[in-house]
Amino acid sequence: MADQKTIRINRRDFLKIAGLSLSAAGVSTLLQSCGSPTPTTAPAVTTAPEATKAAPAGQTLKMWWWGEQEAPGLEKWMNETIARFKEKTGHLIEPTLQDTTVVISEFQTASAAKNAPDLQFLWNGIYHMESVWLGYLDPLDSLIPIDEIQATNPTRLSYFEGKPYRMGWYSAGPMWLYNKEIFEKAGLGEEPPKTWDELMDFCDKIKSAGFIPISAGLKDGPWGEWFMGHGLGQNLDSPADAINLFIGSLDWREPRYYEHWSRVEELWKAGFFNDDMNSIDLYPGIDLFGAGKAGMTAIVTPLAASQAKMLGSSEKVGGMVFPVFGKGKMAGKPIADCQGFGISSQSKNKEIAAEFIRFMHEPERVEALWEASNVLPMDSSFDPNQITDPLLNQIWKGWVGNPEAVPYISNLMPVLFWTDAMFVNSQKIIAGEWTGEQAGQNAYEVTQKWVEQNPDLVEKYSQWAKDLGA
Amino acid sequence: MLRTNRITPYLYLAPMVLLLVFTFGYPLVAIANFSTRRIRGISGPFIGLENYRQIFKDEVFRQAVEHNLILLIAVPIMLIISIILAVVLFERIRGWQFFRSLLFVPYVLAIPVVGVVFSNILQLNGVQNQILRSLGLERFALDWIGNPQITLYSVMAVIIWREVGFGIVLFLARLQSINEELIDAAKVDGADWGQRLWFVIIPQLRSVIEFYVVISIITMLAWVFSYIYTISRGGPGNATIVMELYIYNFAFRNQLPGIASAVAAILFVVTLILMFPLFRFRSETAMEEMG
Repeated sequence: MADQKTIRINRRDFLKIAGLSLSAAGVSTLLQSCGSPTPTTAPAVTTAPEATKAAPAGQTLKMWWWGEQEAPGLEKWMNETIARFKEKTGHLIEPTLQDTTVVISEFQTASAAKNAPDLQFLWNGIYHMESVWLGYLDPLDSLIPIDEIQATNPTRLSYFEGKPYRMGWYSAGPMWLYNKEIFEKAGLGEEPPKTWDELMDFCDKIKSAGFIPISAGLKDGPWGEWFMGHGLGQNLDSPADAINLFIGSLDWREPRYYEHWSRVEELWKAGFFNDDMNSIDLYPGIDLFGAGKAGMTAIVTPLAASQAKMLGSSEKVGGMVFPVFGKGKMAGKPIADCQGFGISSQSKNKEIAAEFIRFMHEPERVEALWEASNVLPMDSSFDPNQITDPLLNQIWKGWVGNPEAVPYISNLMPVLFWTDAMFVNSQKIIAGEWTGEQAGQNAYEVTQKWVEQNPDLVEKYSQWAKDLGA
Repeated sequence: MLRTNRITPYLYLAPMVLLLVFTFGYPLVAIANFSTRRIRGISGPFIGLENYRQIFKDEVFRQAVEHNLILLIAVPIMLIISIILAVVLFERIRGWQFFRSLLFVPYVLAIPVVGVVFSNILQLNGVQNQILRSLGLERFALDWIGNPQITLYSVMAVIIWREVGFGIVLFLARLQSINEELIDAAKVDGADWGQRLWFVIIPQLRSVIEFYVVISIITMLAWVFSYIYTISRGGPGNATIVMELYIYNFAFRNQLPGIASAVAAILFVVTLILMFPLFRFRSETAMEEMG
């Protein structure tokens, strides 16, 4: 009978059980907070890569990473790499694939709470440099031989005061794609436009042929960032100029510094974008290109192959540098950028973390990376001759391996500028509420606000500008 | 008669009071402390009221406050819709149980799901506009979430669509416990539907209405982040930025928790100020009811 099996608990028993449970939970929490998030051993020695040999086997390290979102196949490669690393060293890497929106903030928040992962995926430039200034990342040259770091070409934006804080992983530079079939239908040649006048002429003809000249989605913001990277850079002589704009040493209200926003306005008013640009996100905007509806689109290198695949063949797609309108030394140059990894300054197992990063870059792993995801590895050990896809081959020669390539200057903007100026300006222009000049005024005001709110970071930025201008 | 020491009840209360002080008091003190510092990581130098000065001179903050206040328009709309639908269901129209469940379904859905679905439906070339165009109503096919002039109202409509379900269930539950003889008597006296609603039903719903209004005001001031983030992300061009998103941007994106804390403190005080008259009104009503 159910009644006979019922355990009777009076109030006193209940309170006893509840008290014991709470005590157990409290003690457990206390124990956890007294210990480190990962098993600890002797204090970390951060002087030489050889120190890895001193670390006891069987350590567990936390790693937060990102990438599967833009390059399907990376997660499989990562899991395989972790399994092989464990087989080789006995150390376990516990990976967490992060959401795009929290890649930066989660690491900084965890670091502030002294609970950072040992290894962290890092976007380039300011997206990890603020963590450097806050002391959350360690320089890598004390853990990994400098020639190995340089062999992954993490780009100049990964260095501060001469020290590298990031290892390169795979290429993720912004570029533009064009659809050769649409160009042909519009009566255009196979070559993409190279100047602004040519671009306007091409857009006009593509529109007349019944296609969207340029597809884009602006609702979530990154398209505005990409365009700024392509456009603002054209009127700068070096990345240091961009930093000087962001800290107010140069003035956004000068026409050449807001010209790129005026160009967006010009394109929009001419009807050269998809009409729903302000109400769709970045990727749906790009997918209009893959669906064969648009002549051109802005993209990043890891996504190029998937767009070509949507169109049926890489032969139908070409890569292009954004047409020139500016007069700076960076005008007309391809942009090179990459994803990367760094090591938390709070890690108790920095040497093992470094060992894992080095393992990721062993030639066999680099080959496997290429095979698993078709991203272009940044490692000098990668043999580009094995790239048979014509589009990826063009990207390798024109962007990744091009010594003329320049850094992606949008990676230098403070986050406040991202949220209050870049994000706002491009959307207001597309909504018809602002001109390029008004966008420049807003950029100026946001810069002033950022300087007032972050007086302690201005000095760091200034130093970074010196580094990059040198 | 059982006699206890005067201090005994307080001793019994003490653990719970301590728990409340810790869980509610500590965060408030921490926020007040953070709001006077330039926090980097978990601490930073004392800068007095500088964070507050920064906030009050920030045009984006002003916009955020304005948008929260505009969203308060949704409160009376939700209240009226909820009461009318609850009364209609209460009158046992055919299939009322089905409609009750149907109207409550939106409230069961997770807000991010609602946000993502509506952000697709409301695109310029989304389902809603496709239907409008197919009906020959092209001029009503607006850029619902791409036009800064109307996006906040589009988000407000989504909030109303989802939150009304809670009101309906709340009012229906209260209606089912009221004295139906009063309604029958009003009918006998010749009162029409509107008169019965206004003079008989609504007075009996008074306490629930107050509760719903308070909850809805709090929702509009401090509980709309998920809608905004998933539908418009504060855009286009800050057209839908609200205080919560402003706090989020400073706390987690700009890494300036000091400013975020200052806004949180302001939001807390403003909410209290708005709530105070309502609680006072409630207290007066309770006194009246007690005679």
